[in-house]
Amino acid sequence: MRKIETSLAALLNDIGVFYVPKEWHFLSVNGIDLGGGKIELQWIFSKYGVKDEIVIYYALSDYDTPVPSIVDLIPSAIMGEREIVDMFGLKVDGAAKGLYLDKDSMKYPLRGEA
Amino acid sequence: MKKTIQIPLGSQHISLLEPIRFKFECENEKIIGVDADVGFVHRGVELACTRSFEFKQVGYVVARVCGLCAITHSLSYTLAVEKLLGYEANDRIKYLRMLMVELDRIHSHMLCLAHTAENAGFEALFMQIMGDRELIMDVQEAISGNRVQFDYISIGGVNRDMTPELTALIHKNLRLLSDKIDALIGLFDNNWSLSLKYKGVGVLSLKDAYTYNALGPLARAAGLATDVRAETNDFPYETLGYQMILESSGDIHARNFVRLREIVNSMEICRNIIDNLPVGEIQEKAKGKPNGEAVVRVEAPRGELFYLVRGNGQNMLERVRIKTPTFSAIPAMMEVFKGSEYADAPAILASFDPCMSCTAK
Amino acid sequence: MKFFSAFRKKSPWVLHYNAGSCNGCDIEILAALGPKFDLERFGVINTGNPKQSDIFLVTGPVTYRSRERLVELYSQIPEPKVVVAVGSCTTTGGVFRGMYNVEDGIDRYIPVDVYVPGCAASPQLIIDALVKGLDVLEAKSKEIEHPFKLFGTIEMIGNKLSRLNMAKKVEQHEKN
Repeated sequence: MRKIETSLAALLNDIGVFYVPKEWHFLSVNGIDLGGGKIELQWIFSKYGVKDEIVIYYALSDYDTPVPSIVDLIPSAIMGEREIVDMFGLKVDGAAKGLYLDKDSMKYPLRGEA
Repeated sequence: MKKTIQIPLGSQHISLLEPIRFKFECENEKIIGVDADVGFVHRGVELACTRSFEFKQVGYVVARVCGLCAITHSLSYTLAVEKLLGYEANDRIKYLRMLMVELDRIHSHMLCLAHTAENAGFEALFMQIMGDRELIMDVQEAISGNRVQFDYISIGGVNRDMTPELTALIHKNLRLLSDKIDALIGLFDNNWSLSLKYKGVGVLSLKDAYTYNALGPLARAAGLATDVRAETNDFPYETLGYQMILESSGDIHARNFVRLREIVNSMEICRNIIDNLPVGEIQEKAKGKPNGEAVVRVEAPRGELFYLVRGNGQNMLERVRIKTPTFSAIPAMMEVFKGSEYADAPAILASFDPCMSCTAK
Repeated sequence: MKFFSAFRKKSPWVLHYNAGSCNGCDIEILAALGPKFDLERFGVINTGNPKQSDIFLVTGPVTYRSRERLVELYSQIPEPKVVVAVGSCTTTGGVFRGMYNVEDGIDRYIPVDVYVPGCAASPQLIIDALVKGLDVLEAKSKEIEHPFKLFGTIEMIGNKLSRLNMAKKVEQHEKN
């Protein structure tokens, strides 16, 4: 497992340079609440045909900063992006609310001590 | 006037095991657009894993994410926690865990084949495969004590040991099943009415498989060589006769064949495991509290299952991220629907083997 | 109506709905319908149509999004009808009890006649429950049964019973 730090501003550029569809399998977008309004976002990739090669791009952010969408580069990222919109209440371009949660469900369940 | 019509499928439908709702945009009989609502079974397991349950209990909670691949869920969680505790299981434990995962793969693939046959209008074949599947269910019940949801794996080992009687039972049932699978392979290959329903229907091309990050049997049927069993070092699959099964045409027929040939391969692995089972303890002490971050990938029957576990040295974990196979396969599935006939939609859907309770957690 | 109830007991049709379960009970229902356990020897057929069903097999702890569908399906089944709650989480919430998107068991919404314990409920238990449900079905009359929590009532429109208002969309819901 390799972890590479990036930032929300540099994310599209970094992943655009890194991601080659025939070499890398995109796993998912992941968010981890660090407490105190901070959140760690992760974009996880694994390599086809190589043992235990996982690359995680991560960036620190807060709840209000809009997260850039990588759907133009990786169409299957739409599911993961809709999930973090629901679970953490983040803003992602083009990702609609309501993948899992209903009107009267708990708001942003995975945010810290919400 | 609008040229297209919208046809819904779900959330309750005779061809669906679980609630999922599709909205098909159709032009005459042809599907040109798909919209899916997959959140009907969202329960909130990820939050409960970090708030309500201690790390020793979570393995049994995540098994309830999905009944069909329960064993792979508890296995990946257990592996992740064991990595954080710095513990590596001995060979006997590894072999027993692999045995259950492969048995689970056989019965899950058979259920999918049965379901695909039923949705293609072949009720008798559904009954036949469900009957044959009971051979594996009997073995699972004998080994673990329950037919589904066997909480067989715990942190530091497995909960029950193998006995000579069990070995004999497994050999007997696998021998019986082997003949039946051979007959099924012939049937799926040569039956004329099945070939009309399956061949050339619901095609995922290799290019789309790469673009949409297809995985599991869906990707292998399109010729994309990806299998977590060959991409991790956690288990000695290569020494036990594992082979990657690849087809090239990417249609329902190819997906069925990937599943059938994987069943044959899994039976081979099961036989090798029980013939070469090492001696050792089945339960060892794994002490400490999980601290740090670990990722684990395991090949579930539907594809790659991914767990990310982060602990901070306490009894409660900080984050358990569950990425299930169907969750990442949905964009590829929607792509396959476009351009096919509406009448084929239930059979195509069943051939993906979608697992909504995995997807929505 | 004695005439029909004799036949109904010989061929109860089953509607199966998954209200958020883990699939475990659903595949056991399929296994029970399969050749080894052979539920069909009691005349049982799995239909997809609520209007032709007598027995309602529900699995799962009722997630928020499946509430309205559950009640809608229940109110579309003609009386007499029997509800069988299959599995631990359907009866009490089970392991999902207290999770944020879950309504601990279906008996908050619809009256249940037979509870089946077990995670996952074994096919033998499901057969037992259905046979018990047949006795309940025989004793029931054509009296209309209402869901507990619902967002509308059955009304008379003209001289016909209308169930249109029964499954109104819930806007604000409080978890009790």
